[in-house]
Amino acid sequence: MDLYNLRKQFDESGMMMCFNGPFSHSIIEEIGTALRNHLAAENIAKAAVLDVFAVYIELAQNVRNYLALRELGHGDTAASIITIARWNEGYMVSSGNMVLQEDAALLCARVNEINAMTPEELKRSYKEQMRREVQPGALGAGLGLLEIARHSSAPMNCSVRTIDETYVFFSLSAFV
Amino acid sequence: MAHLDIPQTTSTPLISFDCEAKTLRISGESYPENSFAFYAPVLAWLKQYLLDNRQLTIAITITYMNSSSTKCMLDLLDIMEEAYGRSVNVSIIWHYDLENPRSFELAEEFCEEVSFPFEITALNK
Repeated sequence: MDLYNLRKQFDESGMMMCFNGPFSHSIIEEIGTALRNHLAAENIAKAAVLDVFAVYIELAQNVRNYLALRELGHGDTAASIITIARWNEGYMVSSGNMVLQEDAALLCARVNEINAMTPEELKRSYKEQMRREVQPGALGAGLGLLEIARHSSAPMNCSVRTIDETYVFFSLSAFV
Repeated sequence: MAHLDIPQTTSTPLISFDCEAKTLRISGESYPENSFAFYAPVLAWLKQYLLDNRQLTIAITITYMNSSSTKCMLDLLDIMEEAYGRSVNVSIIWHYDLENPRSFELAEEFCEEVSFPFEITALNK
């Protein structure tokens, strides 16, 4: 297999890191550590490194928690993508994974709702959500997208590709 | 009272109780695979400790915390606040790195949620 074209495409799109496959917690940790070392070598402020890292963690854990919740974490639906690319003066962090048709519309609506919030509204909404009772068995606190928005310098972007009657491929990008 | 001594890992903080200093230390980073499962024994320990004892300081040096960990931290603050309401002597000292304003902002937001003494102090003045 000649990977030259794939590499060329990555270079042209400013891709710094990319993982495609089933995520485990240890893979999330490892990529996170590599990402921080990579960014630290670029001589950017500590706070900026942590912002990119925070967005990466929320995206990756959101994907993993979603696949576990919907029992999609095995077989054909398990493989997910996470990428970190240069974007203008900053970075773009994206995730892509299989999502049930009916969840995709709700997710996009939630992303748009959060995109429209001012920083004050984001903070208020975060605190309200933090005070909400977590459902038994839940893996997350429903704060991930709000957390991403609070670290972002531009609105999040989502796109949906239909796979079949059951699934779509859902991509979500955040800009730091 | 069961001892509380959880070693630090890449994605979970050290959580250790110093009985003599009546201080619970939490330091490192917090983005566990399952935050609720990770913090459940800590919250249970804290609840019991504050029923049996009249004094506790929590010394926190957290550089990064994911969103579900902030929810667990809020649960921890609520337990302390409830004890404070029973006149238990509770306080928090939050240490942050001057180069890491995110840790300071996080501390400020938690501080807004409580009425007991909550000190935010820079590690490298």
